[in-house]
Amino acid sequence: MSSVSAQGVVERASAELSRRITGLGLRGRKRSPGVVERVANALCGPAATAAPRVPRRRRPSPRPLVWSQFILEERFLEKFFLYFNANDRRSLAQVCTKWRDLLYSSPRWWTGLVASIDCRELRSTTGCCTQRFYNSLVRRGIRGVVLVSATDDDINEFIRQFPLSAHHVHAISLKGCTITDRGLESILDHLQVGAVAQLLPSLYEFSLQAYHVTDAALGYFSPKQSASLSVLRLHSCWELTNHGVVNIVHSLPNLTVLSLSGCSKVTDEGVELLAENLPRLRSLDLSWCPRVTDNALEYIACDLNHLEELTLDRCVHITDIGVGYISTMQSLVALFLRWCSQLRDFGVQHLCGMRSLQLLSLAGCPLLTSGGLSSLIQLRQLRELELTNCAGASPELFDYLREHLPRCQIIE
Amino acid sequence: MPNIKLQSSDNEVFAVDIEIAKCSVTIKTMLEDLGVDDEEEEVVPLPNVNSAILKKVIQWATYHKDDPPLPEDDENKEKRTDDISSWDADFLKVDQGTLFELILAANYLDIKGLLDVTCKTVANMIKGKTPDEIRKTFNIKNDFTAAEEDQVRKENEWCEEK
Repeated sequence: MSSVSAQGVVERASAELSRRITGLGLRGRKRSPGVVERVANALCGPAATAAPRVPRRRRPSPRPLVWSQFILEERFLEKFFLYFNANDRRSLAQVCTKWRDLLYSSPRWWTGLVASIDCRELRSTTGCCTQRFYNSLVRRGIRGVVLVSATDDDINEFIRQFPLSAHHVHAISLKGCTITDRGLESILDHLQVGAVAQLLPSLYEFSLQAYHVTDAALGYFSPKQSASLSVLRLHSCWELTNHGVVNIVHSLPNLTVLSLSGCSKVTDEGVELLAENLPRLRSLDLSWCPRVTDNALEYIACDLNHLEELTLDRCVHITDIGVGYISTMQSLVALFLRWCSQLRDFGVQHLCGMRSLQLLSLAGCPLLTSGGLSSLIQLRQLRELELTNCAGASPELFDYLREHLPRCQIIE
Repeated sequence: MPNIKLQSSDNEVFAVDIEIAKCSVTIKTMLEDLGVDDEEEEVVPLPNVNSAILKKVIQWATYHKDDPPLPEDDENKEKRTDDISSWDADFLKVDQGTLFELILAANYLDIKGLLDVTCKTVANMIKGKTPDEIRKTFNIKNDFTAAEEDQVRKENEWCEEK
C-alpha cells in the first residue's frame, strides 16, 4: 500500500529545494550542509523566503492530517475498503454519504451480492423508494435477484418499476412464490437473459428462459429438490449440451414435465438419455432443437411409455420415418409438429393410426397436400387440430374436416 | 552501522540505522533525492509523528527489517485480514487512538507493510459492527438525512450473499 500524501510532500520538498537552490544561484543537485533541514522546513510549512510562489497541482494541506479527515479521504478509502468483502460493505455504505457514494460508484465493491426482495415488505414501501433501490442495484452492478413470496401481481410490479431489469438482471431465483404460469411467463418474457436460479426445496415447478445457462448450472439441484421438482422448463438455453442433460437426468429423476425448447445444442444422444432415465415423463418439449432427428424419436417411442404430450416444432430434420415411430405411442394425447418442413403425406398416414390423439398441430408444414390432410378424419378423438399456414389446407378441406370431425375445433 | 536521526513532532530525536529508516519510502526518497551522505549525521524532522508513535514505528521497522519486500498488490483485489502474524498482533495490542495514529504515520512515512497490518487490524475491529457503531469507532459524523438513512439501510438490507 502506498501512501496517500507522502508522494505529494516529497514532490513539494524537491520543488522547494530546487527553488531555493536556484534562488541561491546554484545549479543542479548539489550537496550543501544543512540542506536536509531546509527541506524539512519545506515539509513543515511555509518557507521563510519571499520568493514568488508558483501554483502547484495537489498541494497537500499545510497542517498535519488528522484522523477525522483521513478517514474520509478517497485515496485512503479506496484501499481501506479492500480489506472487506461485499457483505461487510453493506454496513460501510450506511456510515456516511462519503462512504456510500464511494462504494456505490463502482460495481467492483459489490461482487457476490444478490438482491433479496421480500415482496410482502415491498408492498408497504413507497414506489419511489423501491425505484431508488432498483437504481442502486444498477449502480452497484448487482445482477442477481431473489424474489421472495411473489405473486403474479408482484411480478408485474417488479417489471413495471424495474424496466432495466430486462438487461440488467442475469440471475433470478424464486423462493416461496405463489406465482402461476402467467407470472412466470411474464418474468421470463421480460428477463431475456438469465442464469439458473437456486430453487427452494419445496418448489414444484420451475421455468426459465436463460440463454446463458450452462451445463454446470443444472448441477445445482439439491437432493430435496430432486424429490420434489416435477416440472422443469429450460427455454432457449443455448449453451446447454448433452452434458447438461446428464445432470438433469441424474439430479431430477422424477420429472414429469420437461421442456428443452430452443436448447439447440441437444442432440439425439441427449434425447436417448432422457428417454432411458426419465420414465415418469408425461410431457416433453423439444421444439427448436434442430439437431434432433428421427433417431431421437425412436428412443422416445421405445422408452417413454407414459408420455402424453410431445412438442417437436421446428425440428427440421424430422421425416415421415420419425413420425412413424411416434405413431406407435398409445398414450400420446397431444402432438405438435409445427414447421416440420420435411413432413409429407406419408407421415400423416402414420398419424392416422393414433386413436388416442386429441390435440394435433401440423401448422406450417409446407409439403402436406389437401389429400393427405383429409385422411385426418380418422382421428375420431381429436378435439383440436391446428392447420395454420399449411399450403395444402383449402377452404374445401376445412369444410370436409368440420363435417367429419364435428367435436373438433379446427384452427385455420 | 550508519545512523540517521529522526526528530518527532515533540522534538524528541531518535537515532536509527539508516537501512531501517529507509523502510519508509518517504525518508528513503528524501535521502536519495537530496543526495545525503550516509556519514552525515543529519536530523530529519517528522512533524506529523509524535515521539510515542515514532518509537512504535521504529520498533516495528526494526523487527521487520529483513522482511522480503511485499508483492505489488492487485489494486482491486480483496485482501485477507486473518493473516496477521502473532508478533504484529501483539505489537498492535494498543488503544484505538494509538492504532489510528499508527495508520496516519505509516501512511505519511509510506511504510507499506505497517499500513497493511494496521489497516487489517482496524478492519477486523469494525467487521460485523453496525453503521452506528462504526461511526462511533471512527468518530464519523452521520450526515444522512433521516430519509436518506432509511433508503440506504433498505438498499443494503435487501441484499445478501449469493
